[in-house]
Amino acid sequence: MTSSPELIHELRASRPSAPLELRARVREIAVTSALPKPAPWASWRFPLRRGALIAVPAAAALAFASAGVLGLARSDVAPQSGAIFNRDRAEKTTLESGTAPNVSPQLAPQGTADAATDNRIQRVSATLTVEVSDSDAVSRAAQDALDLTRSLGGYVVSSSVATGEAGSASLTVRVPVGKVQEAITGLSGLGRIVSQQVTIDDLQGTLDQLEQREAKVRSEIARIRARLASENLDAQTEAVLRAKLQTLRAELPELRRGIASTEAEGRMSTIQLTVATPEAFGSVASASRIDRAVDEALNVLAWEAVIVLGMLIVFAPFALLALAAWLGRRIYRRHEEERLLAT
Amino acid sequence: MTLDTPRPLDATAPPSFAAVAEELLDDVYGYLLYLTKNWAVAEDLTGETFEAALKKWRRFDPGRGTPRAWLLAIARSTALDWFRSDARRRKREERSEAAERRDLSGGFGEGFSAELEEALRALSAGEREVVALRIVLDLDGEETARLLGISLTAVSTRLSRALSKLEERMRDHDVVA
Repeated sequence: MTSSPELIHELRASRPSAPLELRARVREIAVTSALPKPAPWASWRFPLRRGALIAVPAAAALAFASAGVLGLARSDVAPQSGAIFNRDRAEKTTLESGTAPNVSPQLAPQGTADAATDNRIQRVSATLTVEVSDSDAVSRAAQDALDLTRSLGGYVVSSSVATGEAGSASLTVRVPVGKVQEAITGLSGLGRIVSQQVTIDDLQGTLDQLEQREAKVRSEIARIRARLASENLDAQTEAVLRAKLQTLRAELPELRRGIASTEAEGRMSTIQLTVATPEAFGSVASASRIDRAVDEALNVLAWEAVIVLGMLIVFAPFALLALAAWLGRRIYRRHEEERLLAT
Repeated sequence: MTLDTPRPLDATAPPSFAAVAEELLDDVYGYLLYLTKNWAVAEDLTGETFEAALKKWRRFDPGRGTPRAWLLAIARSTALDWFRSDARRRKREERSEAAERRDLSGGFGEGFSAELEEALRALSAGEREVVALRIVLDLDGEETARLLGISLTAVSTRLSRALSKLEERMRDHDVVA
């Protein structure tokens, strides 16, 4: 400050004192004016900055804690290996077929054999996933599966073997229904069973309908032929009967093929076998409980982030508007103050 | 009327409003006098300031600032309201052209030399305000900046300009005399 000390001294020396009347008035305000009785909530204040300093870390801690707890809780019920995928797929297959209930050999191993050896015509499908130690074991297991199929009188529908670190083989084989239990037992012994699923569709109803229709067609053909041979028909009636006879004769081979196909379905069961190394199942398959808990926690955190992001997207425009209004008001008041104090 | 001598505020115990009012009355009045350059207006505004402060006393948080800064902020807000209403009144008068222009500048009152009062009148309200806060009431730069809502540099600049003007005016007066 470059001002003279005399000026400063004079300013300080002339420091105003409140007149006695004013002092008395203020004292009266301070002493005699009873402070208004505060409402119960009046003393409670929400300091915004301090609140934010507590609320933000608290919300973050809550988010992490909830993610951790949920992750731990969900890791309890997580299935082992890749069974989830295979089980889901098996259930989907059953839903699509929609005719027969699933029978799990793990729960009722004898049920498969009983069902398959029943006199009723049934389509038996099995899905089997087996884990082996390495790629060489995959090849050996695939070969053993083919040998077993042939030894049981079955045949291979498709076969695919992939070698390498994450080796896997996928085979579709058909074996006689009477040997399906033996086949599943043999294939299950190729490695560690990851999942098994057996689906049985009852074809007896379909077969019965086809056979009834065949009998009816045959009977109709015999009746028409008898009429054509014995009665003295006019030309128009004869033409109609011959056309109908021709249609029925054409239907008959279709019915026979349908019956044969259904019976064939009932004679042979289809088994889909997957043989794979642990690497082929991916990290999920070999995940420990800690890994699963971390994964689940991360999933929960991701969902929490999505929710927070959604809320930000919704509320950000309003917050920006409020901020702009607040800044505008502040700038206006600042200018106004400067204008007022410039006089 | 006999008045007690103001007792200094106890730093450890939470001060009562009466004690705060007693000790800081001169500060508030001096600040408002500098700001309005009118002792009558300053007295009215001082009364209004303490009435407003009494209503807000329960919300005063010693952790966020001294009672003096808190009271001066209320005084400033009260003074700005007065400036606003005064500006509106002046506008009305200018529009009607009927009312005679009133001279509300009743003067600084006792304690000021004629030269100093004249020099102070030549300053703007903003300049007088910063002189009052920094020189007369001896607030530090940061406290003043916070109260005025401007930067520390702006406080220094404004004060320096105000004091230069004051000195110039005082010098001119001495030369003339």
